[in-house]
Amino acid sequence: MSAALSLSGVVAGIGPLTILQGVDLEVGEGEVVVVLGANGAGKTTLLRTIAGLLAPRAGSIRLRGEEIAGRPAHRITRAGIGHVPSGRELFPRLSVGDHLELGGQVCAPARRAELRASVLEMFPVLAERLGQRAGTLSGGEQQMVAIARALMTDPRVLLLDEPSTGLAPRIVLSVFQTFPALRKQGVSILLAEQSLTLGLSAADRAYVMDHGRMVLSGTAAELAGDKRVADTYLGR
Amino acid sequence: MLALQLLVNGVLLGGLYVLVAQSLNLIFGVMGVVNLAHGAVIALAGLFTYWFTAQTGASPLLAVPIAFVAAALAGAVGQRLLIEPVMRAGGSKSELLSLIVTFGLSYILIELALQLFGADFVSVPYLQSSWTLGSLAFGKALVVAGAFAAGMSALLYLWLNHTMSGKALLAASQSPTGAICCGIDVARVRVTAFAIGVGLAAAAGALVIVIMPVAPQTAADLNLLAFVIIALGGLGDYVGVAIAAVLLGIAQSVAGYYLGGNAEYVLPYVLLLAVMVALPGRFRRVR
Ligand SMILES: Nc1ncnc2c1ncn2[C@@H]1O[C@H](COP(=O)(O)OP(=O)(O)OP(=O)(O)O)[C@@H](O)[C@H]1O
Ligand SMILES: [Mg+2]
Repeated sequence: MSAALSLSGVVAGIGPLTILQGVDLEVGEGEVVVVLGANGAGKTTLLRTIAGLLAPRAGSIRLRGEEIAGRPAHRITRAGIGHVPSGRELFPRLSVGDHLELGGQVCAPARRAELRASVLEMFPVLAERLGQRAGTLSGGEQQMVAIARALMTDPRVLLLDEPSTGLAPRIVLSVFQTFPALRKQGVSILLAEQSLTLGLSAADRAYVMDHGRMVLSGTAAELAGDKRVADTYLGR
Repeated sequence: MLALQLLVNGVLLGGLYVLVAQSLNLIFGVMGVVNLAHGAVIALAGLFTYWFTAQTGASPLLAVPIAFVAAALAGAVGQRLLIEPVMRAGGSKSELLSLIVTFGLSYILIELALQLFGADFVSVPYLQSSWTLGSLAFGKALVVAGAFAAGMSALLYLWLNHTMSGKALLAASQSPTGAICCGIDVARVRVTAFAIGVGLAAAAGALVIVIMPVAPQTAADLNLLAFVIIALGGLGDYVGVAIAAVLLGIAQSVAGYYLGGNAEYVLPYVLLLAVMVALPGRFRRVR
């Protein structure tokens, strides 16, 4: 059986700049995988490349065995990659309900209703805010909307780009606590995170990224006790 | 009674201005670009309406859907073949480049109008009588044109806020990346927005000529008018722009009466300068 998501030799960049220097990575079905890396390591670039917002220059990106590299980004969303981008990218003047509807557009009406119910069960506070404009929500609520919007597209793999940014630890915890439920629904997760402890606490397996390459990988438990991880962060 | 008369005339004029401004606003919201060919499209459509009614003897209202469809198709083609490639190639300078492209396009359209219709001001004689209500008299042409234009703006508003395709357009204008995360084909949304924006500008042109004379050179005045309204109402803010359009209509109607015909034409310039000095932030995009 093929992995939920597998990358091999992915090279990507912006303009003349090459940022990802041949990335290999795998996310198994139902797995939570974290990509750890310091500021500027290339985590956001990696997630944007998987989501198709950046076209890879070389390498292969497979979603359940199917090659998706080079497809237009909106097709990749429809193929089953949910993306919670860095900065959240909400529509500030549209309501929470609109965000759910727009995400759910890609699904059949019956499935849309199911997803909506499960998303509102996961984030009950959004049920009270359906008519409110996204721009007026708190940071934590905005993060929930971004995740909910991605989940409404019925993804097989959910990409989360530093969802902890700007959130109180308690809120971050409540976001990460949704992972087991998502896993049960057959959603695999690829999380990008700067914070070692936070990232390792939430994941089954981890990769450590530096200058656009994967330099270490292992189970969360292995890497938690590995001092080379901290060395990478400190540039040693 | 006079005040009421001026107010109603102003509101009707404002109804027409809403359409003139909203079509520019739509293109701006999605493309992030001010279409400098906007006034030329309105003028060209007005002149076409003059030619069409003279040839066929038909009502200018019949020219509205024809102008809309023709301009929307031309807009879609122009967006795909000219504007989108320029914006894609332009990188960080894409907004400036597309300004230059639409500026050039406006000259081509004005030249086309000169070749086809000549340089003279022309008008369409339509419903020249008035409806009277007590001591008030309302020019029928203004009532019909204002109401028709306001109705089209209302349809645009309903489409944007109450249909999925309209919301997809708003979404793409507020965050293209976010829209892609919803599986929306943003490239297609951009073509749609441009086509509808150009189509509505042409529809506005077919109505403008019913109440005022139009020549190819009117393009510049119409551009300015639309800019002032958008600057007052807030770029990308559909409700704000509608309010600003009606206020400008009322201001022009009042100024035209008390200060004479010229004041009416100078007013948009004065307001533009006032807005630029008092509220420079108005020219930034509302997000
Ligand atoms: N638009 C851009 N133009 C040029 N260089 C860029 C651009 N975006 C990112 N980079 C560069 O690419 C490298 C990787 O950036 P990226 O945003 O992927 O890192 P990151 O791991 O997500 O960092 P952070 O933890 O700060 O979010 C950095 O060196 C950055 O300076
Ligand atoms: Mg990042």
